[in-house]
Amino acid sequence: MKLLDSTARTCSEKTDFMYLLDTPVVYHCHHFNLFLEQTIDDALGWEEGQKVRFNAAREAARQLLSGVIKAAEAETPAERLQVATTLFKKMGHGTLQILSDYEGGEAFGEYLHYGYSWLQKYGHTVKQLHPNDLFAAGYIAAAVEVVYGLEPDAMLVTETECSSMKAPRCAFTVTKQISDEPFKALPTISKELCESAEITFETGLHEDKIIAIANGLRDFTAQVEGDERGLVEAFGVFVTMHLPSYYNRISYDTEAWIQENRPQVRFALTELLKESGHVCVFNTFGGILSSMEWEGMLGKPSTDPHELLASFIAIGRALGFGKWTIKDFIPGEKLVLRTPTSYESAYFTVRHGESDVPNNYFVQGAAQAIMTLIDDLDWSQEIDFSQDLYLSLFKKGAKWDTQETSSLSTGAAYTEVVVQRN
Amino acid sequence: MSTQIHNMAAHIDGLKALFIIAMPDALLFDSWTSTKQNEWDSTQIASYFGDMVRANRQGLNVLSAWSDEMQITVETGESRLVMHELKNDFVAVAIFEARISLGMLRLELKRLLENVNEILPVAEIERRSQGIRIVDFLLRYAPDPHAVLARVSLMTGISLEQLKNPVELSDEEAASIKESAKTILGLSQIDI
Repeated sequence: MKLLDSTARTCSEKTDFMYLLDTPVVYHCHHFNLFLEQTIDDALGWEEGQKVRFNAAREAARQLLSGVIKAAEAETPAERLQVATTLFKKMGHGTLQILSDYEGGEAFGEYLHYGYSWLQKYGHTVKQLHPNDLFAAGYIAAAVEVVYGLEPDAMLVTETECSSMKAPRCAFTVTKQISDEPFKALPTISKELCESAEITFETGLHEDKIIAIANGLRDFTAQVEGDERGLVEAFGVFVTMHLPSYYNRISYDTEAWIQENRPQVRFALTELLKESGHVCVFNTFGGILSSMEWEGMLGKPSTDPHELLASFIAIGRALGFGKWTIKDFIPGEKLVLRTPTSYESAYFTVRHGESDVPNNYFVQGAAQAIMTLIDDLDWSQEIDFSQDLYLSLFKKGAKWDTQETSSLSTGAAYTEVVVQRN
Repeated sequence: MSTQIHNMAAHIDGLKALFIIAMPDALLFDSWTSTKQNEWDSTQIASYFGDMVRANRQGLNVLSAWSDEMQITVETGESRLVMHELKNDFVAVAIFEARISLGMLRLELKRLLENVNEILPVAEIERRSQGIRIVDFLLRYAPDPHAVLARVSLMTGISLEQLKNPVELSDEEAASIKESAKTILGLSQIDI
């Protein structure tokens, strides 16, 4: 049996996407993961929200695990399950124990990313009413299906105890899923698909600097993997290597449902999807730039707005978000972020065709957060990226207005986001 | 801050602040703070301690033990806080330095609150609508207050514009906002 080593992860110079074997992956923090899932449940209600999250997780994890388990050349089901749980841990999602065969069984989780980080972020403020490790549940279902060669919707996994509800560990039941309808396979977003697409790249500002920083960061993150708990705790956040197909499916399926059933609140949904990106980039990019690791690689962060911007754009590329470039930048006034690749549009156009409206919500929130990081913080001082700082900055609303003026999703050659003072 | 409250409070040894709160909506009626405490947000303090008094009233009611003589004392390393019922559904929150003994504090407070009671209006306080109260409550306690109205909008189907102007909300809309507040805060019941 061959477990994955760091060479399984590849980064594309062409697209600035990242892959684990053939599956696109990105790094995202717990702020993004929790806020996005909360938004899905707010829109659909918990009952429907958990189904959407479970199905999306199972589908995305199946794509990943099919490749990884095959590459591992594991012979027995026990070995194949070990490959799945080892990978889960390496990706920073926590520790899983799967005790199931093709008839069903049970599974247990400790330090699962969603439940554990929810408790750390919100546990002292509010009470969790429902289990929230639906990504882990979908992953377990996919693992059992792939390990035993079952159909893609053969297993149902339900979380019965969750650490976010103060249980000592997470517990899951694994059962056969009885479905009335035959499984309908949907097109998957693969490395081959992403890399075969033609892109129109136009060099932006500070390109050489961005490439150099991004390459250094990629070398650094290649070594990052879950600790003994299966968590990646770095830069003041919990980091996961995650599956953009999962994020995209839950976001766009929810948007489609809202558009059809409650169009009057679509604006609220898109604002919250943007906020997921905003809270993520503010905390993660800010945390990276103010970290000891950054100082070790590149020295203390500069206070020059152009230097800061180049660093943030490089971080975006290194985390697998796409080939972000700076089209225009006037400190204190305006940022034009342009990208010929985005993981959101890569998914949307394959699954849904061309969109009527720009819908790169993550990029919108990210660009807005970058302007806040540059303009509203004093980088000559040590910055504590705490929840208090975040809330104090945005208590009275965002100071920046963001417009996606061009979108890959609508058939344009690039996504462009313009951020200006309100 | 009114001159009357200033005159009653400013000379009291060890008194850091005095807040007069109109219940049951926990609205700031009047306040005095010593010059050292200028950075305090009086409206926010009134809201949080007003909520505490309201919860305390509800708890005492369950015990059939509520009286208008109710007083809550909170001691921290630096301060002694006393919340005391006044007439006409007002509440006083007095904050003393920790060095002031409880005996001296009670004596000073008794004199002070007798004077405060004299100047309180006799008019009945009109309660704000349920919609306003729930929205305010969420803005105080939701984990991400900057995003909470968008969350409520998404959960209830009520537009953001309506939520930003909750005076216009119907009883039915207020009830659905209350349900969403329970989900957001993880509470089985909200009594406000």
